Amino acid sequence: MSSTVIPSGELGQQAEESNYLNVKHTIASWLLTGDHKRIALLYLVSTSFFFFLGSIAAGLIRYELTSPAGVVLESETYNKVFSSHGILMVFTFLVVAIPAIFGNFLVPLMIGARDLAFPRLNLASWYMYMTGGTLILAGMIFGGVDTGWTFYTPYSSMYSNGQVTMVIIGIFIAGFSTITTGINFVVTIHKMRAPGMTWFRLPLFIWAMYATSLMMILATPVVAITLLLVVYERTFKLPVFSPELGGDPVLFQHLFWFYSHPAVYIMILPAFAIVSELIANFSRKRIFGYHFVAFSSLAIAGLGFLVWGHHMFVSSQSMYESIVFSLISYLVAVPSAIKIFNWMATMYKGNIRLQSPMIYAIAFLMIFTVGGLTGLFLGAAGTDIHLTATYFVVAHFHYVMVGGTMLAFLGGLHYWWPKITGRMFSDGIAKVNAVIVFVGFNLTFFPQFIVGWLGMPRRYHYYYFAPEFQAYHIMSTLGATVLGLGFILPAFYLTMSLFTGPKAGPNPWGAHGLEWETSSPPPTSNFTETPIVMDEVYDFDPVSDHAKDLKDIEERNRRRSEEGYCGSEDDN
Amino acid sequence: MSAITNTSDHGHDSALHHQFEDIGQQNDSYIVGMWVFLSTEVMFFGALFFIYTLYRWNYQLDFYIAHEHLDVKLGAINTSVLLFSSFTMVMAVQSAQLKRRLHVIGYLLTTIVCACTFLVIKYFEYSSKIADHLYPGAGFATDAHAAFGAHAFEAGKLAVNMNHAQLFYALYFGMTGLHAVHIIAGILVILALIRLWVIRAKSVTLDYIPTEMVGLYWHFVDLVWIFLFPLFYLMPKPH
Amino acid sequence: MASQTSHSHEHHIVPTSTYLLTLILLVLLMLATVWAASFNLPAIGPFSGTVVNQMVALIIATAKALLVIMVFMGVRWSSTLAKLWVASGFVTLILLFGILGDYTTRHYEHQHGWEARPDGSLPRSTPDEEVVPPINANDLNVKIRQ
Ligand SMILES: [Cu+2]
Repeated sequence: MSSTVIPSGELGQQAEESNYLNVKHTIASWLLTGDHKRIALLYLVSTSFFFFLGSIAAGLIRYELTSPAGVVLESETYNKVFSSHGILMVFTFLVVAIPAIFGNFLVPLMIGARDLAFPRLNLASWYMYMTGGTLILAGMIFGGVDTGWTFYTPYSSMYSNGQVTMVIIGIFIAGFSTITTGINFVVTIHKMRAPGMTWFRLPLFIWAMYATSLMMILATPVVAITLLLVVYERTFKLPVFSPELGGDPVLFQHLFWFYSHPAVYIMILPAFAIVSELIANFSRKRIFGYHFVAFSSLAIAGLGFLVWGHHMFVSSQSMYESIVFSLISYLVAVPSAIKIFNWMATMYKGNIRLQSPMIYAIAFLMIFTVGGLTGLFLGAAGTDIHLTATYFVVAHFHYVMVGGTMLAFLGGLHYWWPKITGRMFSDGIAKVNAVIVFVGFNLTFFPQFIVGWLGMPRRYHYYYFAPEFQAYHIMSTLGATVLGLGFILPAFYLTMSLFTGPKAGPNPWGAHGLEWETSSPPPTSNFTETPIVMDEVYDFDPVSDHAKDLKDIEERNRRRSEEGYCGSEDDN
Repeated sequence: MSAITNTSDHGHDSALHHQFEDIGQQNDSYIVGMWVFLSTEVMFFGALFFIYTLYRWNYQLDFYIAHEHLDVKLGAINTSVLLFSSFTMVMAVQSAQLKRRLHVIGYLLTTIVCACTFLVIKYFEYSSKIADHLYPGAGFATDAHAAFGAHAFEAGKLAVNMNHAQLFYALYFGMTGLHAVHIIAGILVILALIRLWVIRAKSVTLDYIPTEMVGLYWHFVDLVWIFLFPLFYLMPKPH
Repeated sequence: MASQTSHSHEHHIVPTSTYLLTLILLVLLMLATVWAASFNLPAIGPFSGTVVNQMVALIIATAKALLVIMVFMGVRWSSTLAKLWVASGFVTLILLFGILGDYTTRHYEHQHGWEARPDGSLPRSTPDEEVVPPINANDLNVKIRQ
């Protein structure tokens, strides 16, 4: 399956000499780099840091909730902790992580370009992200915010005493970093594709990244200006959103969700992007209904702009608008379902290899389906009135954001790890870890569906009104501990692999795609010469592939057991 | 293949960056990229225009009375100044296409002069509002009474809702202020561009695209003002 | 990496006269809008005079904007892709104005129709329910920030 004119053996040799990691070693060569791959690694380190902080906040929340009367936190501190958790996770991790890490690393590689269209803008976006993240952190250290990640007015603009201004300015700057990333992707995908790389030869990863970029570019400025107005209102005591001066707080919610619903898709579409790659490559089949999956990404991006009102069914919004939003929200389920069904159809009769990335992908499918279906409960204006602001909502969006985005993130990290670092990790531990994450995740969040359905409100840390909820909360906290383990383990075994892992060849998974045609890690210019794409995307030949695979796998097993590689490959 | 450091890769004869194959691809990318950025800006200002629309539609009379304190003449002069600066900007781009370096610098300088004129007029407008206590804030309801004068009273009763009038001025200062920030940013960008032309930097002299990009930004700033002017200065009397 | 090349770069050089004409048109339109605003225009059909006045102002502004976009920004001569992105911002902006759908339909929501009816299946309150006193802001533990 060589789709380029470069014989891969030649590349393998070249990799020994120079790649993007060892080309220069100074700190300045990292901090001033224009190389999309290095910037991706900068993002990997920095988003992991913010994810870690957000997880600590999550741990505090779960610990606090083990007793109906609270354990350690004051009410106001609790408010600050859950706000920090939400803000860090949403604005500094989920929105940024997959596009800025995997998108940055892979978009040029997958389309056969030397770099993104605007490398300096790309670097600038990382600095903006870091500035924003630092301001957010500083705000949390010097007083914190207790508004929740939604900053609803007039509480945030007139009453809250925390560092709302500083945190909002941080979010504003970080928001511009996602906009510039989006601009870079759009231009790169339009203008930098290798010869022969037509739109319908693009991997589905690229289609989903394009859709994500669309929303980043067109939705983020709305929340930027809205939050800026909150600061304006706080600083000068102005009436834009405050009801006592003739402003309308519901307007804030409209504008906020006009961004934040698309933001949900900014978080989940990149996960779809990764899962499409994983499923196709580990089922060794062209994605069933490639065109449908590709266009469903764009459909999600388009419809995503039309459903923000489903967050406002109880906000005194007109009931007519609620009805319309409820219906359109149901419509969004269609493209998501198209994706799920097409992935299933791809796996059906596929030559499935249950290696660790695929296990993450399958876990994603199961969890995301639950998350998506419970979304319908909430999208129905009637049931939503019962479920608004309960743990049901919390469980729903964690099923989508953690079970969806986080699992895809981990799957992608394992899948492209050999490409990023040139080292193979132990597939055995990775598989065990995937199971730990899956079990821990469900143990954490499934009880929250039940307790939410029974009426436990979100953002409360006392529930002495219903001590019978304690069992669910303890279950959930236990699960969170397991889940935490599942997030910490990869940090260890992936780091270990850098030192002890066997060298990965250009294509350790036998996958198909331009990024696997170059060496691992790739040279700074990605390809020694411009690749010319001559075959179709996901062009596995299922019949001969199967026969050849069995032989390949046997041989690879033998070779790897000689090298001391501890993963098992007997998964056919 | 040279390393992708892109700090000073354009040392050689061409303005072509390493990641592009040819100058055509690079130019297309820059123009599309600029428009993608401007679509972000459209949404950025668009949200403000939406907020304006909503409140204006709800508080028509109050907005009308409040708007009477804006000076249409100054607004119209400022509009003409900006339109003219757009013209000089487009002439700078045309000169860049024709590689007439001194023309480019001249037109760009004229553009900056226009931009500064705009800001000076804006400054006088703002200061007259501030002198009349027409700036929103905690004291607006009590201090701004005098400015509304006799015709704001009907049968001895204040006919204008001070909260809504304050909303008008919050939007006025917010939107024209954000626009002014864009003008200032534009002046800085144009100054940087002039400097590149003065030192004959190859990145601008070999190709007109950098000048064109600054031009696109400048026209966008003009575009925003084209809508701000009728919406704030030319409100029809509710009748 | 230039498969999708690029309408080469024979860039279109627009004559000065076109730009000058555009500038003159723009200034004339500006004067027209100031002049039109000095009248109280009559109502047309369902639109009151105020709305007509405002529409005239906005139509003129849109015309000016189109002139700037098409001529000064050169969209007339640019690629389809650039044109699509020019449109995208404005199209999304129209979606944003969909928020008005909420405010324009609120008053059709007649709360009184939701009162308890003997045969109603989903009354908003039951007849024997106590009247809940309105919340007094002083009872809440919140203060306006100083
Ligand atoms: Cu939503």
